[in-house]
Amino acid sequence: MASTTTEPKVAEPEQSTSNEQQKPEQKHLALGEDDEFEDFPIDDWPADQTEAAQRNGETKHLWEESWDDDDTSDDFSNQLKEELKKVEAAKRR
Amino acid sequence: MSLVAQFLSQIQQQVRNQQGDQLRSWLQVEPESPKQYHDLANELRARYSRQDAIDKVVEDALPQQDDLPEGQATAWPGLLAFLKDYLTYWRDVSFADLLGAHQLLSGLVNSCSTAFAHPTYGSMLLQVSMSLSETLARLTMNLNRRPDLTRRLRVVDDDNRKSVAESSAEIIQKIFTTCLTDRSGTRTSKPEGKRVGVYMFANLVLKLLFACRRTQLAKMIFVNIETISPPLSLYPAAQRVTFLYYLGRFNFSNQHYHRAALCLQEVYLQTPPQLVSHRSNILTYLIPSNLLLGKFPSTTLLSRPEAQSLKPIFLPMCMAIRSGNFVQFQSHLAAHEAWLFEKGLLLPLSNRLRPLLWRSLSRKTFLLTYVPPQDATSRKAATLDLSHLLTVATYIQRRLEGWLPGNPTTHGRPSQANPLFMQAIKNTVQSSAETTLAPPPGGPRKLRPNEGLIWGNALVTYEDIEMTVATLVQQGFMHGFVAHSQGRFAIIGAKAKGSPVLAGWPNVWLTIKERRHEDGFDLDQVPGWVTL
Repeated sequence: MASTTTEPKVAEPEQSTSNEQQKPEQKHLALGEDDEFEDFPIDDWPADQTEAAQRNGETKHLWEESWDDDDTSDDFSNQLKEELKKVEAAKRR
Repeated sequence: MSLVAQFLSQIQQQVRNQQGDQLRSWLQVEPESPKQYHDLANELRARYSRQDAIDKVVEDALPQQDDLPEGQATAWPGLLAFLKDYLTYWRDVSFADLLGAHQLLSGLVNSCSTAFAHPTYGSMLLQVSMSLSETLARLTMNLNRRPDLTRRLRVVDDDNRKSVAESSAEIIQKIFTTCLTDRSGTRTSKPEGKRVGVYMFANLVLKLLFACRRTQLAKMIFVNIETISPPLSLYPAAQRVTFLYYLGRFNFSNQHYHRAALCLQEVYLQTPPQLVSHRSNILTYLIPSNLLLGKFPSTTLLSRPEAQSLKPIFLPMCMAIRSGNFVQFQSHLAAHEAWLFEKGLLLPLSNRLRPLLWRSLSRKTFLLTYVPPQDATSRKAATLDLSHLLTVATYIQRRLEGWLPGNPTTHGRPSQANPLFMQAIKNTVQSSAETTLAPPPGGPRKLRPNEGLIWGNALVTYEDIEMTVATLVQQGFMHGFVAHSQGRFAIIGAKAKGSPVLAGWPNVWLTIKERRHEDGFDLDQVPGWVTL
């Protein structure tokens, strides 16, 4: 705005003059994205600032594809074990 | 010279020189605009209360010229209509009346989009179209949170049942379409002219639709982009990432979890690590997408700053799935129900993770009950007795209904026990011979349909078990067959895999990845993500 040859006579939009007319509900206009995906502070950035550049490095270790649990000594397994034992015994009676 | 005349003469110069940036900074509409705009509004109210006065001052200030020097532009009818609406907007707007402001601004953005569509000069309005659309989107999102106001609108305008969000989205979508159908350059050449704005406007419409929970309306955007848009890679990083974020969420809400994960994984990797809150928002949907595909977040991922708020939600969920612990799973869902619902995650996670829990539970039951044959050369198939699975399922259903683990009758009578409680136990001595559980003191808890193992308080039957196993076999999560007459699940290929557990319960993610699809279906292709 300031660098233009045509000098703005009416308004200087980018000069943030404090505006006494602001009413409380006007604040609501600006608020309100909550946790929505916010706008980014910059429009572009080079790929080397991101993990996408090092696809074969650490990014491979972000997810576990084999997660089966073979442990049968935890509380839950023990409870099931006891239950199976008791129910089987009751069946035999 | 009046303020209005001065203002228009500035606009006229900017139009002549095609200064899009200048036009954007001059054509403000926000209540926070500098005082001059409010002075302008006062002058309009005082001296231009009649529409023909506004029409005349605009037409006088911006004459349409024929002979133009090289590089200069002239006003066109669409622009004049837009500027008339602009002055009318400032004359009539009252920011205390959100509905009225929305209506005026909708009209203004609409005429801006018509002016923008001019084939020769329209593109100088790209930036102003964007800033006006952003304000309209913001105002709409605010209104969407005020059902007290929008309800009134519906009563007034009974024939037109479109929501505020829908009508705003439609207006901005017109600008998007103008950008998309602009004929400058080829589809794969560097975007120029209006095509620069394709993803900018798409993203704004998407943001609006998602904020107002009108996700399904986003479909047309993706269909149009898939058909004619330039490749996403030609656009700046922020636009790419934002677009793929919404495409990922759209696929998530349409149960295309693989496509959702492809988009969101790319978004996550392309977003610089220091943008923690963005990455956290991405993981909010990427982690569930991958969970549903059988991929769990690793310790590496969960130790990152962006995962800190999500770890208490997803880590216990993963642990419950791994051990088939429906009790833990349901109580964890209940503890985070409000958050999960707010994010649109509650229903998919509470329903669609169940097959994985059943898979783990049947696997655990097999581990607990299977006795390998004495004779190593035995050719008998390893089996899971379905009645065992029924036993553990019944145990879990009772736990969900409030039965208590560890039968207290076996531990002697505690001196200070509630007499009612003890009476309740006495009344059910019969059942305590068949279970380790003590019945719930106040009677079984009433379960909602999604809180029970099968359906609310419905008893788990043998048929339920057989059907569940058959379904898991069908889905490929269990490998073998149901021997109906024997009441067993028989595992196929234990020898080849080296163990019946490995053969009977194949890896979830590999199973999903290797499912057969129709010819020509590419699992890794996401409609709407133009790569060319």
